[in-house]
Amino acid sequence: MKNKKLIWILLLLALWQAVALSGRVSPLTFPSLGMILKALVSSIMAGELLSQTVFSLVIILEGLLIGTLLALVLAIVSRTGDTMNSFVDTLITLAHPLPGIALLPIIILWLGTGRSAIVFIIVHSVLWPLLLNIIAGFKATPKLYSDVGRNIGLRGIKLFYDIYMPSSLPYLISGFKIAWARSWRALISAEMVFGAVGGKGGLGWYIFKQRVFMDTAGMFAALLLIMLIGILIEEVFFNKIEKQTIRRWGMAEK
Amino acid sequence: MIELKEVNKSFKRDQDTLKVLENISFTVEKGEILCILGASGSGKSTLLRLMGGFDFCDSGSISIGSEAVVSPSPDSILIFQDFNQLLPWKTVLQNVIYPMKVNKKYGSEQQRRDRAMEYLEMVQLADFYNAYPHQLSGGMKQRAAIARALALEPSILLMDEPFGSLDALTRQSLQELLLQIWKRAGVTIIFVTHDIQEAIILADRIIVMDNKPGRIKDIVQNSFDRPRDISGGDYLELYHRLYSMLSV
Ligand SMILES: Nc1ncnc2c1ncn2[C@@H]1O[C@H](COP(=O)(O)OP(=O)(O)OP(=O)(O)O)[C@@H](O)[C@H]1O
Ligand SMILES: [Mg+2]
Repeated sequence: MKNKKLIWILLLLALWQAVALSGRVSPLTFPSLGMILKALVSSIMAGELLSQTVFSLVIILEGLLIGTLLALVLAIVSRTGDTMNSFVDTLITLAHPLPGIALLPIIILWLGTGRSAIVFIIVHSVLWPLLLNIIAGFKATPKLYSDVGRNIGLRGIKLFYDIYMPSSLPYLISGFKIAWARSWRALISAEMVFGAVGGKGGLGWYIFKQRVFMDTAGMFAALLLIMLIGILIEEVFFNKIEKQTIRRWGMAEK
Repeated sequence: MIELKEVNKSFKRDQDTLKVLENISFTVEKGEILCILGASGSGKSTLLRLMGGFDFCDSGSISIGSEAVVSPSPDSILIFQDFNQLLPWKTVLQNVIYPMKVNKKYGSEQQRRDRAMEYLEMVQLADFYNAYPHQLSGGMKQRAAIARALALEPSILLMDEPFGSLDALTRQSLQELLLQIWKRAGVTIIFVTHDIQEAIILADRIIVMDNKPGRIKDIVQNSFDRPRDISGGDYLELYHRLYSMLSV
């Protein structure tokens, strides 16, 4: 599976290179792989690309953390009774379809264009899909497990933590995968709109800036970096977690 | 002492309701082994769940000692009929240790671990202590669940056809094990089965259930001395008596 992916990637890269070297496109708009790699290396050496990336990643982690905590709290609240369940349900119905970028004008009005505004957008884009997945996971927990848990004396929050959480892990992980992808998207677009705050604008701002300077290769270098980070998280981080948990426990095919 | 008084239970279906248990009354003495014998669908599991506090009866009362049963308790452990009652994210050993840990029993973690291994050995699963439940066969899962329940030493064991999926030899050795532990710990055991011989080997008394709705047909005393070797002639009479009760 993984090897097949690698072959496809190599093929696509070759195709790119063929087009770039065909002489029918301008290197100013369609740089070759060599130029992109050179731009990537030099911008990493210069330090800016990396520091912008770190800036962006820290914001994402912050947003993910806050979003996860809120999602957990809301998921537990929704399980405390019918009233709360319908309340959380309503919240999801209202907020989930709303793209974070549509909220931008209001957020600028309320929070300005600083870091907290970006965190807010990320929290918004992460919270609802995570919440939906956590709730689905709780609902899919076999009654037998909670019966066993209650039998040995677990109640309330302990029952949630020891039974419902591990039992919903397959849902949690897929929720995190969605949340991760969404937060990247939200972050890059927000950064492009907001621009630099105190010299730091993150990856989105970096890409935008390279376009203004007509540094096409540098732009693609940043895109490449985004993809590399995505692959790293998806294939290495999530894969490893799945291997050590749900696949090991025989819970993966849910 | 466990006491059931005029317990009724029905389940709602699309339109009508299905009466599953009707007017069930009996008592279980402390330290007794009571077998519940009945055809499939006669409400045995439903009855056990009610006694364990997992569901509520529509009318009537269930009490242990002088207290009404209102919710499940670690002092009366139910071994479910379903194979998948082990927690899949814990190894076999962790599954056995965990309830003791939750209930802060047996001092240290090391003591709990030793104890868990001891019980896994008894159900012949010591070699699989490090396996996850999905790597076990149905019968092995059931044995692990039995070890988990026994290791906690509850004062009441509610067992729902626990040996149903085992071969004759394993079944026999587990019956012997159960009797050993019963003798040692003085635990009260309610044991559901549809195997007449098993009921004869284990029970002090046997409740025979009628089908649709589940009613008590008869409560049969079984006072043969233990150990019981059911190949002997005296048992045959009891066997036929129970058999004819079940088949009517
Ligand atoms: N949660 C439920 N909802 C609806 N009907 C139920 C439920 N649980 C059991 N029943 C019904 O109650 C009846 C008795 O079921 P129960 O599981 O108690 O039988 P049993 O005696 O344990 O049978 P078996 O020997 O096959 O395990 C069945 O007709 C079943 O369909
Ligand atoms: Mg049953």
